[in-house]
Amino acid sequence: MTSEIIPAIELAIPPHPEYLQLVRALVGAAANSSGARSPLEPGQVADLRLVVSEAATNAVEAQGAVGARDRIVVRCRVADDHVLVEVIDHGPGFDLDAVPDLPDVETPERLRHEFGLGVALMERLADEADVESGPDGTTVRLVIRST
Amino acid sequence: MTGSISIEGALSDRWSSVGVEPGRTESTIWRERDQVKFDLHRRDLPPIDRAVGLTSGVGVVLTVLGDLDMAGAPTLRQAVVAEVTGGTRLLVLDLTAVDFLDSAGLGAVVGGLRRLRAHDGDLMVVCPEPRIRRVFESCDLDRVFVLYPDVGSVIAAVIAAGERASV
Repeated sequence: MTSEIIPAIELAIPPHPEYLQLVRALVGAAANSSGARSPLEPGQVADLRLVVSEAATNAVEAQGAVGARDRIVVRCRVADDHVLVEVIDHGPGFDLDAVPDLPDVETPERLRHEFGLGVALMERLADEADVESGPDGTTVRLVIRST
Repeated sequence: MTGSISIEGALSDRWSSVGVEPGRTESTIWRERDQVKFDLHRRDLPPIDRAVGLTSGVGVVLTVLGDLDMAGAPTLRQAVVAEVTGGTRLLVLDLTAVDFLDSAGLGAVVGGLRRLRAHDGDLMVVCPEPRIRRVFESCDLDRVFVLYPDVGSVIAAVIAAGERASV
């Protein structure tokens, strides 16, 4: 049975790109802070930092698009067999399934896709990546499990 | 149980631009201040005699230090625009000292390649670190970019391409 090592830690950031580094520092430190009991290998912590950065970047963009100045909340829980991070914004929300698939990487059209790689990264690198969108905003839930 | 840390907006306005200066052999475009880590250094490549389609003095190395994310990407985009406008046709992006790369940073790299190619140039990437290479690979962009281990390997590849073209 899963037991909690670190109870929920929350960071509330203004919706600006300058704070993304702080978000990554928080989840990286939380995932590592339990030392030998940490559920994740160093490479997995790097993946966690990456997928959380993607979710937080989407949140900053989403709120920027509608001028919402609310804080973005990053909530992190470390259990003995996984790390769960939720990124909660007040943007207009989006549907993960509605994000178009990228064209094949070797076609010229692919180079036009300078954006939109983040969702693909989250789906590839996180063990779970769920998006809940509603009128009040979006919660992205990311889980990385111990191997 | 829930703990909460809330931080006010004192992190803004922390970056100083000293401008992009094509033609100078070396310059720091953005300087690290406080905790936000992002620097961009520029230096000319040595002239490569047999480079395809290149005349001397148009090769430039941009070295990125720190975190290349949504906060750093606009600086890289501006630098690429300035280089192309200033005549650079071979741009080497050295990511050896990058601590973190995500899709926003990758977007700026892809955009740079597109811009160089639109001007009959090329953008080549130096990226020896497995953790940073993994980001390219996770987006299948290792099929678009050759990730060179160092700047010397880029120069060797450019010379080899020139020799093949002249045969």
